[in-house]
Amino acid sequence: MTPDISPTTAVSVENLTKIFKIGMTKKALVAVRDLSFKVNQGEVYGLIGPNGCGKSTTMKIMLGLVKATQGRTAIFGRNSEEVASRNNVGFLPENPYFYKHLSARETLHFYGKLCNMKGSELHDRAEAMLTLTGLTHAADRRVGGYSKGMLQRIGLAQALINEPRLLILDEPTAGVDPVGSRRIRDLILELKQRGATIVVTSHLLEQIQEVCDHVGIMSNGQMVKEGKLEDLISVGNQTEIILEDASPELLEQIRGLINKNDQQTKLVSLGKPRTTLEKLFLESTTQTGDQEPS
Amino acid sequence: MTESITTQKYKAFSVIRIWTLAANTVTQLLRMRILAFLTVFSLIAIAAGFSFPTMSPEQQLKLLKDVSFGSLQIFSIVIAIAATSILIPKDLEDRTLYTILSKPVPRYEYLIGKLLGVLLLIGGGLLIMDLILSAVIWIKQSLIITGQIAALKQEQSATPENVAAIKMIIGKYGLTWGVHAGVFAVFLKASVIAALSLLISSFASSTLFTIVVAFAFTIIGHGQQLLRDWFLHDTLSSGFGKIISGLVVIICPDLKLFDVVDKVITGEIISAVTLASMGGMATLYIVGYTATAYLFFVDKEL
Repeated sequence: MTPDISPTTAVSVENLTKIFKIGMTKKALVAVRDLSFKVNQGEVYGLIGPNGCGKSTTMKIMLGLVKATQGRTAIFGRNSEEVASRNNVGFLPENPYFYKHLSARETLHFYGKLCNMKGSELHDRAEAMLTLTGLTHAADRRVGGYSKGMLQRIGLAQALINEPRLLILDEPTAGVDPVGSRRIRDLILELKQRGATIVVTSHLLEQIQEVCDHVGIMSNGQMVKEGKLEDLISVGNQTEIILEDASPELLEQIRGLINKNDQQTKLVSLGKPRTTLEKLFLESTTQTGDQEPS
Repeated sequence: MTESITTQKYKAFSVIRIWTLAANTVTQLLRMRILAFLTVFSLIAIAAGFSFPTMSPEQQLKLLKDVSFGSLQIFSIVIAIAATSILIPKDLEDRTLYTILSKPVPRYEYLIGKLLGVLLLIGGGLLIMDLILSAVIWIKQSLIITGQIAALKQEQSATPENVAAIKMIIGKYGLTWGVHAGVFAVFLKASVIAALSLLISSFASSTLFTIVVAFAFTIIGHGQQLLRDWFLHDTLSSGFGKIISGLVVIICPDLKLFDVVDKVITGEIISAVTLASMGGMATLYIVGYTATAYLFFVDKEL
């Protein structure tokens, strides 16, 4: 599969192969093998797969941090090896660390200046990002004393500082509590509504399911399944009906209709749907993670 | 979050980005308390300034400069190697390098910014030490002159000619522009060593390797002239030895070029031409090493 680079394509990965030479013997390790996919503008694309399947390597190649052995990646039509391709990109690496001697505000100013921002534009944007990520209360505290969740949020803030058109998030919710995790998920959806393109990897498949339009599943450096989320997860020959306040009599009637109507139709399950543990947690806790612990 | 998504312009070379990286490097190193050397140096300079009162006045001033310039050189070389060697590996280990280079920052700007930060730190540190050293020399010189004039008066031979002669002789070994020229030469040498360390760390796999190799090259660099003479003129040496010494001559900087401290100690004048020549050589080395570092770093897999 060779994706075309149309004006609507934000990311294009074509026949990408990456081989690392390991150790003194230069033993070849194939991290990514003939990988192709594209991400359209305004889309949220989830790249999932087990550890070591090549997701992070693919992201690094997209960002020009690692060179491809074969194939090509492009961002908004520009080859990823060109520095200019990163002009409209924000990246949050997995488990990020920042300069410990800087405060959150200084960190955002540092990254903003690297994007050639200055003056009131930079100041306003940094304040907006602190508010957005719920770090205003800790803006003047050194990042060295931040919790993992706060580091993830400042990481997200720095990725957004230049108002990028493409956001690349590598495990954005790793180590973040459910409230913070929900916040990041909401933020992804908000950015999507504003027209940003997002490529995200996560081990939390439920979250991927909630935010992604397209999903690619990688295994052993290859794409094993790819497509629209709805197409991938819907079970073609099954139908789901969810009723509210249904009486036992009505349920019995439905069961009877199914049994009577067609010999091929089988009732797979009938019972109360379950909430998720995450939803239960979010309903039960009031601490948002924004305030200082009292 | 109601703003629209905008497209930004990209600049292939940005002084602001380089300055941002340099300023951050200075702060980063300062927070590592790397300038604790300043206190140590001040104590050494003060101790050297007020020790050995039984020596002749000239000897006292020469010793003060000798010890102080010795500490200046050690300070600047240690900072140049240690500070430069840890910067890239630390950024890589903490993944801050990913977040920096995923912004529109060319790798050459990152290298230049880091090196500039180290040079600013060394330059700033040396400037402060120059001020401390100048103050100590001036106080010492004033005390000696006052003591000598007092002695002349006791001997009833404090004629204007004798006083002027004492001021001239002591002044030659005391605070002159040569002291500042000497500090400038120390700065140039440290800058070359910092650029060399940056080059080594651009391909090295560990900080320790960078530090050890940079120190080795610094030691060899002080004897590079001997190697060069051997490489070019000695006809008795083996081919293999010639190849090795030739490689060292090419890679290793000639650090003796920047050794004007002996002249400063004995009160000799350092000419502007000498300073300009040292500045030019240092610039050549720094540009050469940084450009080579970029060639290694541009393809480095992060």
